[in-house]
Amino acid sequence: MKTLLSVALGVIAAIGGFVDIGDLVFNAQAGASVGTPALWAVPVGVLGIMIFAEMSGRIVAVSGKPNFVLVKERYGRNLSTFTLVASLVLTVLTLGAELGGLGFVLNYFFDVSVNFFVLVALFAAAAAIYFLPFGGLERIFGYMGLALLVYLAASIKLDPDWGEIGRGFVPESHGAAVYWYFIVGLIAAALMPYEIYFYSSGAVEEGWDERDMKVNRANAFIGFGLGGLISVAILVASAQVLKPAGISPDSIGSVALVSQVPYGETGLLLAFIGILFAVGGATIDTAFSAAYNLAQHQGWRWGKRFKLLDEPRFTLSLAGFLLLGFAIAQTGVDPISLTEYAVIFSIPVLPLTYLPILLVGNDRNVMGKHVNGPVNRVLGWAYFGLICLLAIAAPVLFVWTNGGG
Amino acid sequence: MADTAPFRRAIRHYPLPMRRRFIALALAAVAAASLTACGGPMSPDELKRSIETLESTAAEGQLLAGDVAGDRTKATFVRVPSRDLGDVVVHEAEKLNDAEAEAEGGVAPTKARAIELADRISAALGRIQIAPDSETEGRTAEETLSRLSEQAAQLAEGL
Repeated sequence: MKTLLSVALGVIAAIGGFVDIGDLVFNAQAGASVGTPALWAVPVGVLGIMIFAEMSGRIVAVSGKPNFVLVKERYGRNLSTFTLVASLVLTVLTLGAELGGLGFVLNYFFDVSVNFFVLVALFAAAAAIYFLPFGGLERIFGYMGLALLVYLAASIKLDPDWGEIGRGFVPESHGAAVYWYFIVGLIAAALMPYEIYFYSSGAVEEGWDERDMKVNRANAFIGFGLGGLISVAILVASAQVLKPAGISPDSIGSVALVSQVPYGETGLLLAFIGILFAVGGATIDTAFSAAYNLAQHQGWRWGKRFKLLDEPRFTLSLAGFLLLGFAIAQTGVDPISLTEYAVIFSIPVLPLTYLPILLVGNDRNVMGKHVNGPVNRVLGWAYFGLICLLAIAAPVLFVWTNGGG
Repeated sequence: MADTAPFRRAIRHYPLPMRRRFIALALAAVAAASLTACGGPMSPDELKRSIETLESTAAEGQLLAGDVAGDRTKATFVRVPSRDLGDVVVHEAEKLNDAEAEAEGGVAPTKARAIELADRISAALGRIQIAPDSETEGRTAEETLSRLSEQAAQLAEGL
């Protein structure tokens, strides 16, 4: 039971990672455009992140090394710097989109101005980061984000064709480029690099050691599993509500509307609370991930477990990334498009992020008795191959389908 | 990659000012070609995509208006998305208005109908934006938007 209750790190990493502002709309678009035949892509992506998150948590428990320390150790100076720069660009762009998304969500409640609420979101995120302990951040944003489970209830209440849903979990050959665009996007959304940066650094923040293997497995499988369940539920409910009406959702309001149809005002409020905390969680994930990566690459002292004022370089970079994200959000760029671009163009960075985890996980000299077993090895390399394939296919499909449009 | 060596060898025979003129002319030709590719009359496919946006927007407005009619939503939530949907429709109408369309044998009549539809969708969305807590306005807007969404679908199918 104690293990079950300690899955907040996995929940916030998953909810902030693949049900963030862009992915919420992307899942709804997949449901509205392709419908349930796209469902199989979600478990494929979720299984991949579970395998790599479990591996990275295990590496932290054994060696105390988070992801970017591995990147620095395993790559040469040039490649590790390239990985750092690419990951920082993508993470900060996503951070800007999340802050912009928070502005939109709060404006739905109060109808003042999106830019004003982006400023409110910046102060709220900064205050939460400064005042709350790491465990408090995980629990508040992770567990409150679970209000998104209203989509699971909605998808059941909308009385879908269960046979059709079952068939949706079986991959099928399909000629339409738009179908493959959504398949690739759904898999990639589950594997966003900043989830793994946050998860492995979070494991260090929580001080995991070899006694925490169970907690790591519970976080990787239950936390990311819950995120995947929410993705599936949004897709199914959108296929029920939006697809028959011919609606192509392009805002977070359209996603909220999906839960309003079966549950009225209560459904709407639960959806918005879930969206607010999921997007807030993504803001925290991305801000910390950017600062963690930079600090780990530069060899600075880092972490929320220490007093922030005692680590000026880490704290200043955290504040700087938040301000950069705010500046991006204030340009008025559409946060949904921005995260969709980030998902698609993060895919080329994925192999560079995941390879060191796989190499260290397979290294008996580092891992000792906790080295990857045969199943983990096979699945790890299979997913690494898939990630390399996605890295080539994603940008091509994005251009070919005009962004799924 | 094309072999540009013969071109580079040939151009070296000319004095520098003339070479600059060649390059300027080449750049102007590329710019003109790009502009030609962007312009021209609106194709049926482009018009169809635009009308499908109107259809989707009207359908989403209908869903929203249905919840207003059934008193199943919050006023601020209705106001913000109905305004956003209205903006989408107005922007689409502006794009349609600015696009060239051949009068004879072209898509001009359909384009004019699409602009008219956009205008009516925008007006219906305006009703729930102004009175998001009126069930009567919600019901009227729901019926109107349902009709307009169907008309947009028929218009797009005809292309």
